[in-house]
Amino acid sequence: MQKTILVPTDFCVASLNTLRLALEKNQQGLSLKVVLMYAELLEDSIAELLFYSPEKRINALKSNEFDEALSILKNRFENRIVEVSLELFHGYNHQAFNHFTDANGIDEIYIPKTYQFNLLSRGFNPMPIIKKSKLPIYELEWQYQGVCLENNQLHLIFNN
Amino acid sequence: MKTQSKIALVLFICNLTLVLIFGLGIYYFLNKYSFVDFYKRLETRAIITAKYNLEQDTLNAEAFKTIREQYFEKLEQERQYVFEVNATSTLSQAAKKYQLPLYFLKSVLKEGKTTSNDGNTFYAGIKYNLNNKLYLVVVTAENYYVSHHLRVLRNILFGGMFLIVLITIYLSIYFSKHIFDPIKQITDKVKQISTENIHLRLEEKDTNNNEISELTATFNDLLNRLETAFETQKNFISNASHELSTPLTSIIGEADVALIKERTVEDYQLAMQNILQQAERLDQITKSLVFLARTGYKGKKIIFEIVRTDEIIWEVKSLIDQLNHQNHIILDLNLLPEDEKRLKIKGNRQLLQLALANILNNACKHSHNKPVIVYLASSDNQVIIVIKDEGVGIPKEEIAYIYDPFFRASNTHLFEGYGIGLPLARNIIKLHEGQLTLTSEVNVGTTVQIKIPIARILKF
Repeated sequence: MQKTILVPTDFCVASLNTLRLALEKNQQGLSLKVVLMYAELLEDSIAELLFYSPEKRINALKSNEFDEALSILKNRFENRIVEVSLELFHGYNHQAFNHFTDANGIDEIYIPKTYQFNLLSRGFNPMPIIKKSKLPIYELEWQYQGVCLENNQLHLIFNN
Repeated sequence: MKTQSKIALVLFICNLTLVLIFGLGIYYFLNKYSFVDFYKRLETRAIITAKYNLEQDTLNAEAFKTIREQYFEKLEQERQYVFEVNATSTLSQAAKKYQLPLYFLKSVLKEGKTTSNDGNTFYAGIKYNLNNKLYLVVVTAENYYVSHHLRVLRNILFGGMFLIVLITIYLSIYFSKHIFDPIKQITDKVKQISTENIHLRLEEKDTNNNEISELTATFNDLLNRLETAFETQKNFISNASHELSTPLTSIIGEADVALIKERTVEDYQLAMQNILQQAERLDQITKSLVFLARTGYKGKKIIFEIVRTDEIIWEVKSLIDQLNHQNHIILDLNLLPEDEKRLKIKGNRQLLQLALANILNNACKHSHNKPVIVYLASSDNQVIIVIKDEGVGIPKEEIAYIYDPFFRASNTHLFEGYGIGLPLARNIIKLHEGQLTLTSEVNVGTTVQIKIPIARILKF
């Protein structure tokens, strides 16, 4: 048996602290499947939509540092984590979000309490939509330092 | 051959070939077509001649004659022959009489209709049956088109080709010259730059991002790096001599003063103690210099073994505990990987200890023994060590120089040190194919991040 948890992210290393705390909370019990969600409005232009590819978009958004920080967490909780997947959420309302959670088989949601999402271009803050979900939601509090910089942000995962 | 003339030649040859193929093609196909066309005209004439000569008593003949006279222009040297063939001898007789080639008449007889030419004279002949009698109708004419039009065309083509060749030569030379203009400029400019005026830079034209501006930018980058390297070299020598001469001056001064007159034993002891202190300092500087030199070159063989990074950090911590009892180093192993293999790297234990001890010492020293946190984690292919202090930090403008030997930031004069530790640590990390990056904020703290590739251990 395993449990699927959803953690919103903005592809900044700092945002992975939520995942880290969530994993620390789930030291015992079922093994975990992690879905990292990035909320972004879909492009309006038909040309962009024609060549739409979520993998490409995710690869464009995430940095090497993010990958590295994620692999640190994966290594730390090697026996707990079954799989980590990155998903894009393009919905506008909580109905769409419910579909998203259903489709990904989400059991629990972990969100940061104070962290301000660093939003790129068409990204938006999914908090209001997430909070309307009927799934169990856990708010995690952690000290948020610094801003999401282009480089050298790997140490942000060590905060706390 | 210069690239410039090579390009000109290639351009010229390409163009010439194209023009030649084009011209010859036109001439060849037109020539061919003019033959076909002319034969057709001759054939039509032969048929009409046959009609009005041999069917004179019908109404049709009259009409053909009108058409012929009204609509057909007279061809050059046009002649028509109509004769009856009834015995074999008549063919050669007719050939002789009308000065027609015999083989031609024979082939007309054989095939019904034939065309042929003899130089500029063209023949078309048909066989005509009327009232059980066999007639041959032959029309001959000179091909005016071939003789005149094609000659004109040929002249035009030759003239045109010659003109095009001239233009091509001019254009290819012009373009090849001007394409290489910017490169020539760069070459001239770079020639001017020597070690004396290494501050000179190439002019970067902010036109579009073409290859030339890329080249210029690359050159300027290279020059920047060279200049810094030169500067570092110069600074190194002056700094090193300064650092070495300071303790030497004190030793000499102390000894001098002690020897001026006879002194008490206590005075001598004091002097000797001072001298010893300075000599020790000198020894330390030279030792670290030797290390720096040794790690700076790849030439010398260093023995690498599989070591565990967490062990090294513990060892360094106990080492610093011995030297400095007030240190406050905290090891944060929260993100330690579950698989210990991910902590193993290929490295030299002594050198890694030296590097980490230097960095940790700096962190403790410059933060007045405030907490220094050491984090250890590993990603898929790197071990990551982050050392975070709450010290004085490094001013932003000076971060570029921190890896220069003997460089000390402007806010560090309260602390003892020679400015060798960090460059040494960086050299060592580089030897291990790792990365050392440093971020700092004045009065907030400094974060040193070290990444070293994980050793690939074969799993059995």
